[in-house]
Amino acid sequence: MADYLLRRFVQALFTLFVISIIIFALISSVPGGIMAAYEENPDMTQADRERIEAKYGLNKSVPERYLIWLGNLAKGDWGNSFVSKRPAIQEIADRLPNTLILMGVAFVVTLLIAIPLGVYSALRQYSFFDHVMTTIALAGQSLPVFWFGLLLIILFSVLLKQPNGAPLLPSSGMYTPGVERTFADLVRHLVLPVTMLALVSAAGYMRYMRSSMLEVIHQDYVRTARGKGLPEKTVIFRHALRNALIPIATLIGLDLPSLFGGALFTETIFAWPGIGRLYFDAALKTDYPVIMAVLMIFAALIILSMLLVDVVYTFLDPRISLS
Amino acid sequence: MKTLKGLLMVVVLASLLLSACNQTQTATTVATKAPEVKPTEALPTPAPTVDPNAVQTGGTVIIGTPQEPSVLNPLLASSSIEDAIGSLIIEGLVQVDADGKYAAVLAEELPTVSDDGLVVTYKLRKGVKFSNGDPFTCADVQFTLDAILSDLSQVSTSGYSDIEKLECPDDYTVVLTYAEVYAPYLRLFSYILPRAAGDLAQLDSWDFNRNPIGTGPWMLKEWKAGDSMTLVKNPNYREAGKPYLDQLIVKILPSREVGMQALGNGEIHILWDLVEADFPALAQMKDKGVSYAGAVTGENELLLFNLADPAVDAPADPAANPHPILSDVRVREAIVLAIDKQLIVDTLLSGNVKVGTTVLPTGQFACPQPPTAYDVEKAKALLEEAGWKPGADGIREKDGKRMSLKITTTSGNKLREQTEQVLVEMLREVGIELVIENVPSDVLFAGWGSNGMRKHGAFDILLYTTGPGIDPDSHLYSNYHSDNIPTAENEGVGANYSRYINPDVDQWLDDAAVITNTEARRELYCKVAEQLNKDIPRAYLYERLLLSGYRVELQNLRVSPGPSDFTWGSQNWWLRK
Repeated sequence: MADYLLRRFVQALFTLFVISIIIFALISSVPGGIMAAYEENPDMTQADRERIEAKYGLNKSVPERYLIWLGNLAKGDWGNSFVSKRPAIQEIADRLPNTLILMGVAFVVTLLIAIPLGVYSALRQYSFFDHVMTTIALAGQSLPVFWFGLLLIILFSVLLKQPNGAPLLPSSGMYTPGVERTFADLVRHLVLPVTMLALVSAAGYMRYMRSSMLEVIHQDYVRTARGKGLPEKTVIFRHALRNALIPIATLIGLDLPSLFGGALFTETIFAWPGIGRLYFDAALKTDYPVIMAVLMIFAALIILSMLLVDVVYTFLDPRISLS
Repeated sequence: MKTLKGLLMVVVLASLLLSACNQTQTATTVATKAPEVKPTEALPTPAPTVDPNAVQTGGTVIIGTPQEPSVLNPLLASSSIEDAIGSLIIEGLVQVDADGKYAAVLAEELPTVSDDGLVVTYKLRKGVKFSNGDPFTCADVQFTLDAILSDLSQVSTSGYSDIEKLECPDDYTVVLTYAEVYAPYLRLFSYILPRAAGDLAQLDSWDFNRNPIGTGPWMLKEWKAGDSMTLVKNPNYREAGKPYLDQLIVKILPSREVGMQALGNGEIHILWDLVEADFPALAQMKDKGVSYAGAVTGENELLLFNLADPAVDAPADPAANPHPILSDVRVREAIVLAIDKQLIVDTLLSGNVKVGTTVLPTGQFACPQPPTAYDVEKAKALLEEAGWKPGADGIREKDGKRMSLKITTTSGNKLREQTEQVLVEMLREVGIELVIENVPSDVLFAGWGSNGMRKHGAFDILLYTTGPGIDPDSHLYSNYHSDNIPTAENEGVGANYSRYINPDVDQWLDDAAVITNTEARRELYCKVAEQLNKDIPRAYLYERLLLSGYRVELQNLRVSPGPSDFTWGSQNWWLRK
């Protein structure tokens, strides 16, 4: 086991190294960059532009800049944001809790919707309910997330109003500005982004849950359990559901990092002050250190969660071993 | 492998979003801002100055912005919203007011200049204190100059670098001696940093960057990254009883569209940075208590003609490598005659802007010119005279060459795309084919090193906005002087993308750069403006505005074409209850 983990760790480091080269090369080849804003200003002299370029090391070649970045990272320094001048890691740390709140709530809501519906659909296979649910799930999976988000905004923030004329639900931000921050206010701000995230990803989970459950209830041990005369409730929840959840657990593990990807859209559409919005703004302003830091952390999370899934698997299913 | 692919997707996706959304960004961060201007009659008059007795004090105003400021230190700021929000806190000696004129703010009056133009003397206001309680004196002006010229500063040093010495005969007098005449001297010192800001070698890590100390009416109380900023009254503000409001909140919004809704709902009071394309939406919101304030920036939406052969990489002289079609001034004149500018303004811009007539439309250096005629017959005659005869499909030809030109603008900008379509129709009338070939703004505005199409002259006609800054000196010089044709030799310096050469224009611009007398400068610039309308390196379509939306209960909102934008005079804002 220790051997295995060590091997995977070395592999992960190597993967991250390759990823960092690719991302750095891609970002550096994007036209524009922070110098573009100074390029257009006729009052900027050539000396001014050179001074600013030198300040950010942009007068060096891309491989040189990469090595400097890598060297600093080895010392634990992610670099400072070109725009805010603050450490990139500080920018991320400031916004991480907000993303975790949004994503955590969305994730729990997703599972609370998807698992019961999936199970129910499987138990009533080919019933009217099953057909309706399957259709909705398919539609949900096919919906472009951002479009769905805009639709929610139009419906709940523009068309529907509170009695006093204010929109029914706030369309952006985390708290109402200018008033004391309350939990209730946060919940109100969470409704739209969470709905958007949950409905779209619940659709997928529901379909997985349904097929996983279908597979399990036709297994011999479920028939045996029924044959023993156990109550249906016990059969479903003790024997079928627990086994059906194993593949879902894998899926959840693999999906955790992609939740941050979903944050990119959700936070941008709803102006949620999280990492997704930070990344979006950084990309607009070609703020290399912040883009690099966010993407590298995402990459590390993905690799880590894959490793986690592999390890957890051995506990969930003793037939699998890692040697 | 899957991981890698996922990541690549993220990067690709991000770059897509980036190009899609960059139009907005360029428009706001890159735009050279504005000259001496007066708001036109077309704009709604700002809320009238009120009898002070009628002022209702207190309350909170919420400002919505789709872009978040990152730093408020003017030495590091790189976007218009940072300049605007920073102006709530930080003031300068001389700033551009809502009429587009220079106004003394921390100076008692506009500075005096010696006869030779080399010595500029400022008298400072007495008794002014920064929000931390420090008195404002000549030493702060010295500190600001040092800071601007320091290695880590990110601002233009034009003018500042010509200052040979700065003397403080007493705390409230600043005497600047220039090594050579700097004609636009009034634009300097539009912000003053206190000595307490920090050590210049540590500029990037100053507390000041995100919590500035200034003499302005407001000071920052709280900044929730990505969410909002809260500003409260500066207790040391010099005007008694002001600001009238208790608090300002800057709220970060996902987009301008959401901002418009929020403005209509009353969730915000001010929406920063609207564009002309928002006029129809603004008209719809009128009965919801939404109005707008604007300033003429002095910039024009314009057509930029390439006088040189686009097939040749960055030629220095269009005479040696002329553009096969556009090098003939008769052709350029015919194009201008074939364009019904008023129709564009009326149909696409709700008639709310003026047609473009001159490179210097407004302000202290304004040089109004008669509007160009819309005359299809004359355009046709000119093209005939130039040897272009109608071909089989109505498009003209000459020596087997088809009169077909590419027009390029920033993709994703609906207003510009509509303008192009109208232009295609108008020019087809006279037998010129326009082919639309748009590119993302990053590509259009790319620099020399990124193989920028403007810099290398790889285009026929460009459609975008530019114009003189607060003072036309640097804009006219960089855009129309033959020194500023980007070539391999000068490593792509300059913005004379038409590759326009006229020795007279060069001479007038050189002459104007070394005198400080405004009237004499205006005459020279006006000669340039007249000559440009004869030579037509560019065609001015319509004048651009700087716009902000606001709720009518907010009083005294004015927009300055200078860096302070909608925040000019924020100490006078109040809410009618």
